[in-house]
Amino acid sequence: MMFIVFSILSHWLIVLALSPLFAGIIAKIKAFFAGKKGPSYFQLYFDLRRLFMKNCVYSRSTTWVFRFAPIVNLAAVLVLSLIIPLGSFKAPVHFSGDILLAAYVLGLARFFMIIAALDTSSSFEGMGASREAFFSCLSEMVLFMNFITLAFLTHSISLSTMIGADIPMSWKMAGTVLLLVVGSLFIVLLTENSRIPVDDPDTHLELTMIHEVMLLDHSGVDLGFMLYASAIKLFIFAGILVPIVYPVQTGIPLLDTLIFLGGMLGLSIVIGVVESTMARLRLNRVRNLLLIAFALAFFGFVVKMWKG
Amino acid sequence: MEKILQFPWQVPFGELSLRLDSLSLIFIVAVFILVLCAGTYAAGYMRQYRGKRPLGLHIFFYLLLSSALVFILLADNVILFLGAWELMTISAYFLIVFQDDDASVRRAGFIYLIASHCGTFLLILMFFLMAHHAGSMDLTLISHAGFSPFLAGIIFLLAIFGFGVKAGFIPIHIWLPHAHPAAPSHVSAVLSGVMIKMGIYGICRVLWTINVLPDWCGYLLLLIGVVSGVMGVLYALGQHELKKLLAYHSIENIGIIAIGLGVGLLGRGHQMPFLAVLGFGGALLHVFNHSIFKGLLFLGAGAVIQKTHTGQMDQMGGLARSMPLVSLLFLVGAMAICGLPLFNGFISEFIIYFGLFQGLFHLPLQGAFACALGIIALALMGSLALACFTKVYGTVFLGEPRHPGIQGGQTPALMLAPMLILGGICLWIGLFPQTMAKMAFSAGAYLSHSQISTLNMGNIFLPLSFIIYGILLFLIVVIFLAGLRWKLLRGLTIPLRETWICAFSQITPKFQYTSSSFARPIVDFFKGILFFKREGGEVKGNFPLKTSMASSVHDAVEEFLIKPMYRRLTVLSKKLDINRIRYTQMYLMYILLYLIFLLAWKLK
Repeated sequence: MMFIVFSILSHWLIVLALSPLFAGIIAKIKAFFAGKKGPSYFQLYFDLRRLFMKNCVYSRSTTWVFRFAPIVNLAAVLVLSLIIPLGSFKAPVHFSGDILLAAYVLGLARFFMIIAALDTSSSFEGMGASREAFFSCLSEMVLFMNFITLAFLTHSISLSTMIGADIPMSWKMAGTVLLLVVGSLFIVLLTENSRIPVDDPDTHLELTMIHEVMLLDHSGVDLGFMLYASAIKLFIFAGILVPIVYPVQTGIPLLDTLIFLGGMLGLSIVIGVVESTMARLRLNRVRNLLLIAFALAFFGFVVKMWKG
Repeated sequence: MEKILQFPWQVPFGELSLRLDSLSLIFIVAVFILVLCAGTYAAGYMRQYRGKRPLGLHIFFYLLLSSALVFILLADNVILFLGAWELMTISAYFLIVFQDDDASVRRAGFIYLIASHCGTFLLILMFFLMAHHAGSMDLTLISHAGFSPFLAGIIFLLAIFGFGVKAGFIPIHIWLPHAHPAAPSHVSAVLSGVMIKMGIYGICRVLWTINVLPDWCGYLLLLIGVVSGVMGVLYALGQHELKKLLAYHSIENIGIIAIGLGVGLLGRGHQMPFLAVLGFGGALLHVFNHSIFKGLLFLGAGAVIQKTHTGQMDQMGGLARSMPLVSLLFLVGAMAICGLPLFNGFISEFIIYFGLFQGLFHLPLQGAFACALGIIALALMGSLALACFTKVYGTVFLGEPRHPGIQGGQTPALMLAPMLILGGICLWIGLFPQTMAKMAFSAGAYLSHSQISTLNMGNIFLPLSFIIYGILLFLIVVIFLAGLRWKLLRGLTIPLRETWICAFSQITPKFQYTSSSFARPIVDFFKGILFFKREGGEVKGNFPLKTSMASSVHDAVEEFLIKPMYRRLTVLSKKLDINRIRYTQMYLMYILLYLIFLLAWKLK
């Protein structure tokens, strides 16, 4: 019992400590490509500290839902982070079906995000909420298609096993399948975390915004919770992708953790490069991108079925 | 577990033979809970009609419907079953047409009556086919007779279509979206919560009676589930009327149940009792859960409509401030129907997902493919339902009223109490699912003709308990963060301002997104399979004046299948009309001649 509590707390400590840095690295890379010096790697830590000190401002239209949504959002990603293995730090929670809990806890957070946006009675936020609801339908379908393919490959529905020890073996046996899954999951990562080419995390005030516009009316502590939650969410999705792409396991705890962190660094560079070199897609193209991601995962499944 | 009670009965071939087994038990529990809650609610809700409408008659039919439901579940004899079935159909008709001075209500009632009787016709065929083959009207005896695959297939198809009309499978669901909004809210709750489940019960009873079914039956059921589920929730998204939206959601949930039954049937056909128990058990638990949360949602919708006098969501808004308790309970129902953790919907969906993944691993290739399809469909349904209920909750209860006439008010305690009970059950199953899950699994085992004690049910109860720990952990984190937020904001006065709206100075509620605009991207994406109509809305000239736009989603089945068929039938009957004899006396003579013929034939 004590051990589980300890491992949960240490897991949270790592996630809470590293996730803003991960977002900071991406921001730095984007600044580099734009020819700017850019904010410090630790800018998000300063931002969060400042926001936690500040007071909130609320609209008269809002109810308790609006105040509650950031809490639910942060709590959801924190619970979600427990099923992700981080290098040699095994996931504290793993059981058959944990991916379903993860997907639906994420759904819970999304539910509250959307109704909080509608709570403000602003047409801006309504727009964002509507788009978020639509694109998340597609991205959730893609996510589940990936789960199916990975589950079919590993005969397990626990994330720790699906992206765990068998992955190096699977690359030899079914490299094509994993390649397709990686491509598909990468698109899901970009969509779910509102990255270019789907969305732009830096601007809240454009009519084409999807997810980001829902942060528009949050302020102070609430905004801090929201920003922290999105940083952690990005970290989690990267944490799912990295063990598949860097399937190196040495058995030495320190080395494994270093390899994992190196992988995370590499992935943040890739995300930064993608964000810097691509333009944002027109809004009605985003769904095509997601359908492509679905097709990739589906082909992975078909290939696996065909090869047996 | 089985209890059988038999009495002689004066009806030819009939016997008052009642039977209570694990399968009917779970349905009966749902019926009792919902009928009691909705009845209590009605005592408060119908007060507005006192002295204006025959309330005694309404309550008479309500009680008649309740007893008919129980008799259907207990009947162990074909004649008794069909009698109770007919009693249910007729009494529900009188409940639906309560406000019979409204032409649209009368029409809805009529559609319901015709659709139900088309279904009953197939059921009579099916039961007589079974009884003829087995040589008995007793269901227990019929279950002992072996059926050839061909005959079993025919009976299965008749059951799917006959019971499917009542349950609301997609191409034959047309009465549902008409009848539910027409009926008073507590009646809608009972119709959607338990009456349409009688169709599911009927299918389960047939699955139980016929032990061996051809392979394709499971695939067909799964496919019907996928189509009904996805189309049901898409139609729901396109609706502007609150109760019509909820009616389409019932179709979605029936789809989820059918997916579970399909998986169970595949498991039973492939001699995988664990898979069968998961599929059937998940489906039956969802039956129970759906009656609870859908009942809650309809009762909540009734409380709203009682105050706003309209079901049009695009006019509502901001009701959470004037009706806090109703809005909270509606939120519970909405989260439960989306299958979000904390409430009961998640538990049954999790079991069905779990079954589908087991099927993916262990079934042969085509079975695995079907299961993958089921998983994708469930995921899509889940996120579409989330879009749909954020739309409902956001436009009805949050934001500002979109029409000046919309204001909430006090809801009588007699209406709130049943909603509280239903909401409490949602939470209870969401956090402590053991009791109901065990009941559902034993019903599932009964349906799959396997002994539950021989199976390792820990394989599902262990993940379930982990799920509960996960949810409890989530709650702890939420409480901790709420405390943290409280501590950070302590001592500060929190300023309230207007919503920032691009520096517009004149803020009106018209700026808000409506439910139609919220659903627009999704409806637009699926317009290939939905019948989406949009009129007006173009901007003309350099200085556009007042303009209007209307959009609506119509039921493609109704528009392209039922209506043309109906038109053909009208033309045909017009043609046959020429040969009609216009004298009543002639008809009487025909009847007399026929009777004489029958007499002569019998006396021969």
